[in-house]
Amino acid sequence: MIAAREESRGLLIAFEGPDGSGKTTQRKLLKRWLESIGHNVISTRWASSPLVKPLLKSRKRIRTLSTEEYSLLHAVDFRHRVETKILPALWKGQTVLADRYLFTALARDAARGLDLDWLLHAYAPVLWPDLVIYFSLSPEDSRRRVASTREPHFYEAGQDVTGIEDPLASYSQFIDRVVTEYQNLSVVFKFVTVDAGEAVYRQHTKVRALIEQAKKRPWSTFSGEAVKEWLAKSHSKAD
Amino acid sequence: MAGKVTLQGRLIAVDGTRGRDTTRDAQALADELKRRSIRCAVSQWDASGLFAELALGSDLRISARSLSLVYAADLAFRLRWEIRPILDSGGIVIAASYVDTAVAFGESVGLPGNWLRELFRFAPAADGMARAVERKLDKPWKQRLDRGYAEYCAAILSRSAPKAYSKSARKKMIGALDGAPTAQATALTPKGINAFAKILTGNRPAASSR
Repeated sequence: MIAAREESRGLLIAFEGPDGSGKTTQRKLLKRWLESIGHNVISTRWASSPLVKPLLKSRKRIRTLSTEEYSLLHAVDFRHRVETKILPALWKGQTVLADRYLFTALARDAARGLDLDWLLHAYAPVLWPDLVIYFSLSPEDSRRRVASTREPHFYEAGQDVTGIEDPLASYSQFIDRVVTEYQNLSVVFKFVTVDAGEAVYRQHTKVRALIEQAKKRPWSTFSGEAVKEWLAKSHSKAD
Repeated sequence: MAGKVTLQGRLIAVDGTRGRDTTRDAQALADELKRRSIRCAVSQWDASGLFAELALGSDLRISARSLSLVYAADLAFRLRWEIRPILDSGGIVIAASYVDTAVAFGESVGLPGNWLRELFRFAPAADGMARAVERKLDKPWKQRLDRGYAEYCAAILSRSAPKAYSKSARKKMIGALDGAPTAQATALTPKGINAFAKILTGNRPAASSR
């Protein structure tokens, strides 16, 4: 059943990178272009599931989350979006653009000191994207871009782990760790890197070229367990 | 009246298939310890309010795997705000329920045991393990959001699989609890409670009732 769907299923593309790297801009540009050439496209954003978003929002506001709780609630959000939004869309043949994916959790939570093996385990079974585009930006540039538009939030600045009162000072320290984790993940999981320092148009041109060359990672090889589990729960809906 | 005795902090896990039984038996153990002048507190499922808040949402399409993750998040909250502070101050915490409840329920609905056990790796091993007495063995779970973890899950998951959470599902969970690596747990019968309290208090007699 999974192999039979391989041909018609949609492509899953993940956009990753530090804050301020322009992922959202590029994701929107790509969506518009794909739609203009006839693709059916949906987007999904980090921590956006209607199930978990309110829980996360209220707890982030009062800053009560422990490192594990923070990580696990994001894992629930991710799992819920994979099961109710991403997989159903891919199954129907839609292209899915994920504005941050699993690797955001791995980079941020590992930077918080959690064990990478445990994190991967909590997110298992993983639905692997067909392509991960990493918008590469130095920690300094990320800090500069974020600082020019807003003050980072408590958890975004990593104040829960740095203990630094000034959000920007904390962000500077935390983003350094996050980018290091991203760079490690980039090698292990074979991200395709786009220089986020380049002009928006140049980046978009490169992203288009990457999409045109993108090949599907066979579900049966890479994501069989995740797809099977979803199918078992929603078999009738999937047909 | 006997003076308060402060022991080194100890964590007691009480697990079972029904929330009401787990709460009742954990409370009976706490009462027995208090009679012996031992400070203790009971940490209950959903102290974080995550499950209660989820139930208020409009989209309740939640999988068993997601529910396990929520349970783990709730346990992380309990460990941070309830369990560790008491253990650090030398008290006894009775966690009702703890890890085995979530692992056994997950296994009973087909989740891999190794995934479940690894997920809860962050939770410290309990110093003492106890099991709630299983009552009404011939009945399935009540599908209620306010009783315990298994009842909550049965209420949520039965929306997509109405017949799946029957007597046999509960039996599977009992089997999973019996087969857990911590299956040497003491059953909290009146005799079991007394024996357990004796172990925890070093045979300290109960204070005379007033």
